[in-house]
Amino acid sequence: MKEGSLREFIKTEREKKTWGRMALVILAAVILEATSFMQLRFLNQSTRREAEIKTDKVLSTARYEIMDVVDQAEQAVRDNMWITQWCLDNPDSLINVTRRIVEDNPVVVGSTVALVPGYNKKLPFYAPYSYLRDGKLHQTSLATEKYNYPTHEWFIEPLEVGMGYWSEPYLDTNGGNIKMTTYSSPVLDPQGVTGAVITADVSLEWLSKHVGRLDIYPKAFSVLVSRKGTVMIGPVDSLAMKMSLQDMARQIKDEAGMSELIEGMLAGKRGVVSIHTRGRGTNFVHYAPIPRTGWSMAVVIPESEIYKDVRRVSVVCLALQVLGLFMLIIILLSVAKGWMDYQKARDEEDKLESELQIGRDIQMSMIPKVFPPFPERNDIDIAATIVPAKMVGGDLYDFYMRDEKLFFCIGDVSGKGVPASLLMAVTRSLFRNISAQEESPAKIVEGINKSMDTMDENGMFVTFFCGVLYMQSGRLRYCNAGHNPPLIFTDHIHELEVLPNLPLGVESSMVFEEQEMNLLLDDALYLYTDGISEAENPKHELFGLERMIAVLGERRTAWEHMEAMKEAIADFVEDAPQSDDITMLFIHYLNDNSEPKTMARHLVLHNNIQQIPQLAEFVEAIAEEKGIDQAMAMSLNLALEEAVTNVILYAYPDGIDGLVDIEAFIEDDCLRFILSDSGKPFDPTAAPDADVTLGVDERKIGGLGIYLVRNIMDTVSYRYENGKNILTMIKKI
Amino acid sequence: MEVFIENENNVTTARFVGRLDTPASQEVTKSIEPILENPTGTIVLDCKDMSYISSSGLRIFLTIRKAAAAKGGNVIVKDINNDIRQVFMMTGFLNLFEIQ
Repeated sequence: MKEGSLREFIKTEREKKTWGRMALVILAAVILEATSFMQLRFLNQSTRREAEIKTDKVLSTARYEIMDVVDQAEQAVRDNMWITQWCLDNPDSLINVTRRIVEDNPVVVGSTVALVPGYNKKLPFYAPYSYLRDGKLHQTSLATEKYNYPTHEWFIEPLEVGMGYWSEPYLDTNGGNIKMTTYSSPVLDPQGVTGAVITADVSLEWLSKHVGRLDIYPKAFSVLVSRKGTVMIGPVDSLAMKMSLQDMARQIKDEAGMSELIEGMLAGKRGVVSIHTRGRGTNFVHYAPIPRTGWSMAVVIPESEIYKDVRRVSVVCLALQVLGLFMLIIILLSVAKGWMDYQKARDEEDKLESELQIGRDIQMSMIPKVFPPFPERNDIDIAATIVPAKMVGGDLYDFYMRDEKLFFCIGDVSGKGVPASLLMAVTRSLFRNISAQEESPAKIVEGINKSMDTMDENGMFVTFFCGVLYMQSGRLRYCNAGHNPPLIFTDHIHELEVLPNLPLGVESSMVFEEQEMNLLLDDALYLYTDGISEAENPKHELFGLERMIAVLGERRTAWEHMEAMKEAIADFVEDAPQSDDITMLFIHYLNDNSEPKTMARHLVLHNNIQQIPQLAEFVEAIAEEKGIDQAMAMSLNLALEEAVTNVILYAYPDGIDGLVDIEAFIEDDCLRFILSDSGKPFDPTAAPDADVTLGVDERKIGGLGIYLVRNIMDTVSYRYENGKNILTMIKKI
Repeated sequence: MEVFIENENNVTTARFVGRLDTPASQEVTKSIEPILENPTGTIVLDCKDMSYISSSGLRIFLTIRKAAAAKGGNVIVKDINNDIRQVFMMTGFLNLFEIQ
């Protein structure tokens, strides 16, 4: 439960982290977007400011152009004011004045000097009119009944206001249909009496041709309106005089904007109004008055026009950003997905690992872990441990007691992880199953090896050491399958002599050789895996055999040995990570087997060669008891004789009386002979074998004795203990 | 153990009777000295009545064989029982001697 909730917690934390990261990236994207929107906004604003300045400039230019025309027209009138005053008494010459005005001033398309009715008694109505039509000067009179000039605004207003006046635009019918505006000024005679009105006509068409051409924006246009709001110059020439601002207001729904505009323009103010129209969107209207005329000039620029470039840029930018963001999101999602997949895989791996660990723990829990394992026994002391490395490894040990025999094993599966763990579990079960019916370690090992036949295709193997200790006699049978030799404690600590053999799982038909020795009271066996001998410190030095032997040198209980070894390894490796399982099994034999009950015969000989024949009787008696044939008896006799002769001839100095002790043990499947003497230490098994393949000339005379012992007996082992040479010889029956 | 040595027509016959164990070999070493002194012709080691041989005994056989080889003598081992044949086989002696 605990582990599950922890995993859940870790998973939740990971998800939180992932989403946190996502949120962070999204925030970054939003900030990026916001920044670019701000930039666009600033760009908009600056564009707008620039447009305003530009528009103001355009407006000013257009105004100046209009004012220039106005000035020219007014100037033309003023220039001829003096002569006109003088001509009032001589109206005939007035026609010349008008002609000159028209001829001299390109802005003026027509001019008249209209006498105030009644001023001249002879000519109550008189208004000679000169005008240009199709580039030619024409002259006519406005004093017709039809035209009736005194009724016209251009005549009435200046007289009323007593000064120069620009008329509302109107359609002049005298000289053809021309839309025009007329500047008219009262003419005072030298006596100060108003005698006439002098005029200068300005064609609206001409005006619109010469002013108000806006090339700042294609869709911008200017509007010139009269003091009453009549359009004098519009976006289209045909609009001139056909519309008033008020008419426009009716068409354009933006009431507030239009009324502000109308009010401002008619009041002769300067200003900017934004007006929303249906077709053209928002328009900025800059307007300013034309002095003296009562006119007002406006420049209209659609907002879309101003922001056209900005819009285009921003659309491209936006598109790019959206694209970028989209890509970013896709990348993010794929990264996030990858991360999630990875996490999922990790989780699954962790789960598998922990399940394996559980599986292994179950296996391990079947292995004896409670120490002492046999509290009721005082003839054996056992301690064992596995200190697993981080990864699931493949070390194992096991032991159990059956029929007064201790079955034990230690093993190391090649590799780590899942397969090693499985193979370890399999090996352990096989050991238990096979050893339940078999007490020969070699047979047990062979059985396990055969069962592993199918494994070899994985290239995995197990180094394995299996032993059977007969509790009563101290007889130790063992078989090594490629494992490192255990340490044996007799009078000193040394490596047990083992045949290497092949590890398990390499060759299924492999025949394993068994070995044997005899344990005495207080002897001990220390089995371990290379996780101990190859434990590494930070300097990459190995723990090694010497350190192990040094640690085990002191007398301790099995458990204390175990703890001491663990501590020594921990001190040695310091903070270097443990790379391999550390496994050890310590078996301390405590049975006093000095007088084994199985002993059949005991013979003590003096170091006299003449006593050798006694061996024949000794062997004969044994042969009879065990029921072995003559040939075998002769072989045993020969081996014993050779071994004993060796002692008699070489163990003791000449002239010194010494003894050779010969014990024979009869067991179910073998005979065991133990020779001991107190002579000088001599290990006959260390002597090289005689070469029996040599010819007569090369053949040495000696060396055959030990050769025969080795060949006849199945196991020959030597040790020197308590001042005695002890040679154990075992013959299987 | 007893050894009977006979010489007839350039054929020396040594007949071993009993067990040729280590103490016996020490005695036999003296008995066969005449053969070692003159190891020529054919030397027959008659083992018909020899029931046992130890490595000391084998050493005597090998000593005779070496001496004969040096002087051009011929050694024949005669009538060894199966047990002794086993020992001969184990020690490679079957290849060193002519066995009859």
